[in-house]
Amino acid sequence: MINHNMEPPRRMRKTKAFVVGLLFLAFDAAHAVDLVANRDIDFESISKNTLRSIFSMRMTQWPDGTPIRVFVMGDKSALHMDFAKQMLGVFPHQLRRAWNRQIYSGMGQAPIKVETEQEMLEQIATTPGAIGYLSEENIDEQVRILPVQ
Amino acid sequence: MSKYGYSRYSKGTARPWVRCLRGLALLLIPASVSLASERVNFDEDVQFHGFLTQGYVKTTDNSFFGDSQDGSWDFRELGINSSYRFSPQILASVQLLSRKAGEMYDGSIDVDFAQIDTTLYMQDQNRFGVILGRYKNPFGLYNDTRDVAATRPGIFMPQAIYWDRVRNMVLSSDGAQLFGHYQVEEHRFSVQLFRGRTPIDENVENSYLNPALDPSMEQDGYTTGGRLLYEWDGGRFIFALSGASLALDATTNALPPGSIDIDYRVLSAQYNQGLWSLTFEYMQEPLDYSGFAGAMDVADTTLDGYYIQGNYRFRNDMEVFTRYEESHYDMHDKRGEATGSRIGLDAHNFYSRVSTLGLLWEISDRWMLRSEFSRVDGTIFLSNLENPVPQDKVRNWNLFSLLVSYSF
Repeated sequence: MINHNMEPPRRMRKTKAFVVGLLFLAFDAAHAVDLVANRDIDFESISKNTLRSIFSMRMTQWPDGTPIRVFVMGDKSALHMDFAKQMLGVFPHQLRRAWNRQIYSGMGQAPIKVETEQEMLEQIATTPGAIGYLSEENIDEQVRILPVQ
Repeated sequence: MSKYGYSRYSKGTARPWVRCLRGLALLLIPASVSLASERVNFDEDVQFHGFLTQGYVKTTDNSFFGDSQDGSWDFRELGINSSYRFSPQILASVQLLSRKAGEMYDGSIDVDFAQIDTTLYMQDQNRFGVILGRYKNPFGLYNDTRDVAATRPGIFMPQAIYWDRVRNMVLSSDGAQLFGHYQVEEHRFSVQLFRGRTPIDENVENSYLNPALDPSMEQDGYTTGGRLLYEWDGGRFIFALSGASLALDATTNALPPGSIDIDYRVLSAQYNQGLWSLTFEYMQEPLDYSGFAGAMDVADTTLDGYYIQGNYRFRNDMEVFTRYEESHYDMHDKRGEATGSRIGLDAHNFYSRVSTLGLLWEISDRWMLRSEFSRVDGTIFLSNLENPVPQDKVRNWNLFSLLVSYSF
């Protein structure tokens, strides 16, 4: 990138600039991802442990009895990676393994996969008990943002 | 019925209610189709999943998963399952499995599980309930999904804990399982207790008695067992204790009838950082022969074994691992010398030490590819069905394997 063919005396300064630039790039690349739910989910916020139980498909109903519907995007989608790392503190392959272990032992079901953020938005807006995630710019008033404690 | 690998798993042990569940599962399929248009969310409650795995095995000596000295393709696993969530409290699921593993398993279709899982009490993340039907035994970290390539720790299960030659002995039970999960902040405690009938097959018969005796076995009573599991921080650290015990009544063509009491205990620990993980499991299996006019008393022993495996994910979709494992026919005779001279066979029949290096590539959410190389000293985990002449087994051998798997 910018640090090709640098002259020795200016290397330090340029390297610093490069690192700072990289940091900005990294921030830019990481999506600002938010946890979103159907509007009838009546919560102010949700704890990280509860969120992990929901996304590892171990928790199947909301406290009011509504079945939980979990929506995710593919393992290789950047938004999914960011959500898993930032909000759950795990890597996509760890989630995939947890789902597989339940699906193939008969102990649980898989989350519902959507292909696009548009589809995610529509599903969460129209499915009672739905929970998923969206990047900031794709969220509108059809869904509720749930802050994670 | 074929001479080898004949499985009584689906026939001999299919009790009427297993057949009922099977029927129920088949009923679910047309129901989901006809109701899909009437109820918006119905198709979310019914799920179908499956997997298709093909392996290739090449060994320098001995036979493992087929005629592996010439390169064997006789390692194939096919599974399909269906589940229906009646409510957040009730889940019914059925899986059919076909497994071809050399001379050990012939690929016939078995009911892998057919169960109804009912939560009797649920609050937040805590639940307590019962599973009825044929369920996979919760045993060690991997037993309940050992036939699914996407969840195994390698192409082959670590033989020190999860023997393929006696796989059915702990695979599943027909009966009931009680479970309880309790979470306090970052600590999760799980208890699973089970009691049921275990499907016994020819692999079990020919592992605990010499095939030359043409052994036939029936389970005496029930298998009782369970697992205690502790998880910290969403699986960053896992610790588990598992145990099961069963008794087999055996008849042979040469000796008076007798019985074999088998206990099976596993201690498991895993640290999972995300990009790398470290796994350790230790197994102990006391065997107690009685009857047979005392002829088998000499075989009383406590088997043990362990493995330690380190995984490192160096790319989003690629992982490398290394594993060392050891198995001993007699935990007090780790090189098999005393046992060998007592029974009259080479010492290497009574232990194994395996070092493995493996690579995993998850090409997509659905496709995966594995490649592994193992150096083996010892022959204890080789099947008698695949290596019928003990004197022909070679002590030091190498094992190379490839596996491709598709799952949905």
